[in-house]
Amino acid sequence: MNWSLLFDSYGAVFGNVQVLLMTLLGATGGVLLGAIPGMTATMGVALLIPFSFGMDLIPSIGLLLGIYCGGMYGGSISAILIHAPGTPAAAATLLDGYPMCQKGQAGKALSVAMFSSFCGGMIGALVMTFLSPVIADMAMKFGPGEMFMLAVFGLSVIVAISGKSIAKGMISAFFGMLLCTVGLDPTNGVPRFITYKNTGLLEGFQFIPTLIGLFAVAEVIAGVERILNGEEKQESSNEKITNVLPDWKTIKQIWPNILSGGLIGTFIGAIPGAGGDIAVFVSYGFSKSASKHPELYGTGIPNGVAATESANNGCSGGAMIPLLSLGVPGDSVTAILLGAFIMKGIQPGPMMYITELPTVYKVFAALMLANLAMLLVGCLGVRIFAKIVSVEKKLLYPIILIISLLGAFSINKNVFDIGVCVVFGIVGWLLNKYEFPLSPILLALILGPMCEKNFVRFMNIQKGNFFAIFKSPIAMVFLTVAVVVVLFSIYNQNKINKREAAARAAK
Amino acid sequence: MKKKMQTQAFANLIGALIFSAISVWALIQTTDFQEIKHSFVQPALFPQIMAIGMLVFSLVLMIQSIIKLVKLDENDPLSQPAASLNFVKHKGVLAALIVMALCIFFVATFESLGYVLVSILVSLVVMWLIGKRNIAQMLLVSVLVPLGMWLIFYKVLTVNIPMGPLTFLRDLIDMI
Repeated sequence: MNWSLLFDSYGAVFGNVQVLLMTLLGATGGVLLGAIPGMTATMGVALLIPFSFGMDLIPSIGLLLGIYCGGMYGGSISAILIHAPGTPAAAATLLDGYPMCQKGQAGKALSVAMFSSFCGGMIGALVMTFLSPVIADMAMKFGPGEMFMLAVFGLSVIVAISGKSIAKGMISAFFGMLLCTVGLDPTNGVPRFITYKNTGLLEGFQFIPTLIGLFAVAEVIAGVERILNGEEKQESSNEKITNVLPDWKTIKQIWPNILSGGLIGTFIGAIPGAGGDIAVFVSYGFSKSASKHPELYGTGIPNGVAATESANNGCSGGAMIPLLSLGVPGDSVTAILLGAFIMKGIQPGPMMYITELPTVYKVFAALMLANLAMLLVGCLGVRIFAKIVSVEKKLLYPIILIISLLGAFSINKNVFDIGVCVVFGIVGWLLNKYEFPLSPILLALILGPMCEKNFVRFMNIQKGNFFAIFKSPIAMVFLTVAVVVVLFSIYNQNKINKREAAARAAK
Repeated sequence: MKKKMQTQAFANLIGALIFSAISVWALIQTTDFQEIKHSFVQPALFPQIMAIGMLVFSLVLMIQSIIKLVKLDENDPLSQPAASLNFVKHKGVLAALIVMALCIFFVATFESLGYVLVSILVSLVVMWLIGKRNIAQMLLVSVLVPLGMWLIFYKVLTVNIPMGPLTFLRDLIDMI
């Protein structure tokens, strides 16, 4: 590593006013955009690409990375405050973020999310700086078999997020996986559960309208029901936000979750085709399984928020690794960034580390700067965002409803998607009412297509010999970890159920 | 018997039956999927695995629920009354059904009335339904929020949203 060049490059980025301003602007836009349900970081980066045409490379990359990192945190704001994840990568944040908000700790949840997101992003940026060639080399060993096992490993988290009844969690998960198979078969284009007349469903159920329906619309319907039943309490705005960052006691409590989440996020982000939406659930499941008090997860604890938020922003650094080292984008945002590099006459790939090393180091610095900008914007906004919960529920629910339905439309500009969103809103309300967990459906919707596509590819490559997967050490590691996670989660859940039964008997 | 039918365990039993029915329906549907020659994995295989998985766990839940119903223990949370869907007895359920109907109305009229108008109507009705009576506040919020959202999507995010009779607003904004 060329240390003097590294420090010079960092100095050039941090000392350039245009880069600082552009990154701050990007982070502000990203946070605001990410907070709107349905608006993803990808969309933000794609929207602002034309604005970066006239800029030099580093200010434009700073702007785009600012949106990327800002969007990752922004998605958690609406997940915590209104039970509507702004981005798919924030979907797991609501598991503990929203209960924290309901307990009157919206400010704390937001500051934990922001701090964890920042730390996760920094971990990703540091790993990217020092280990990118090693990780990129490993990421390239992922074939369809390894990707399939990665998806299976991700799905093993289902047991951990199933709640009281594992059977209900598994039903939800299989239901979600079955929903993924609606539409054209991804390998052969054969219509499944539809005819060619159902054009709206040819590509299956779109993820974001389904997500908004299951969580935001279902929550509005349930909220209206609670108000009429006299069960809804207005959250007080009495929570005093003295510090915009979490206090020292909370940081001590959440740092293991931040560290593990950041590393998991970076690693998963580095694998092309896997992104923040997968990393957050893996990190959440890992944190819950490793915790001494798994029963507290899902009830509104900062550890759950920290585990997910650090993982989703850790992905930003991870996804840059294959982009810079191999010229292969790790996710959709880095695919757009690849376009930005090419537009400026730079071809990312192994040669970039030889011919464009100063640029590589400047990109590392820009990512660190983007995370700092995100932290600054987050700090300035925490008090304002936290005020949203003190808006009267009778005004808030209709607002959430019309914004959510618009979010569902905005993805493909298709009214059919609003219909999908409404249908899943009703399904989500019913499932919630009868205590079928929704998170396994969400996880299945994320991992289902990846699981099937790679399974089919693997089987076709291996000429139908599934057992060939046992020859891959990476796949075997994932399988072993998945089995351990499932067994440990079942053990944990039995322990929780016994503890609760004993408490009830004592009463 | 009637008491047993109101428990969470009975609700689980009904849920398990519904999911079993969906699984069986899905399995029957997969038999009609086109087969691909020389492919090692047929398009029907993955949905079949998922449907069988759902069926297996539905049966597990069914057995668990039946056991709970037979040995009903008052301390067990599953013996507690389940949530009701009776909209005659529970006005909350009725309100939830009205919100669902409003959502369907939103979808049906989104293109003809446009986002802003349909949002104003839906939000006003929902506010009224949940007991908001401050007309000025209701009008202010239900008009300004959709207009503001439309403006953000139109000018900042360049997403064109149907505006129905209010399409002239686009020209107005473009002129400004």
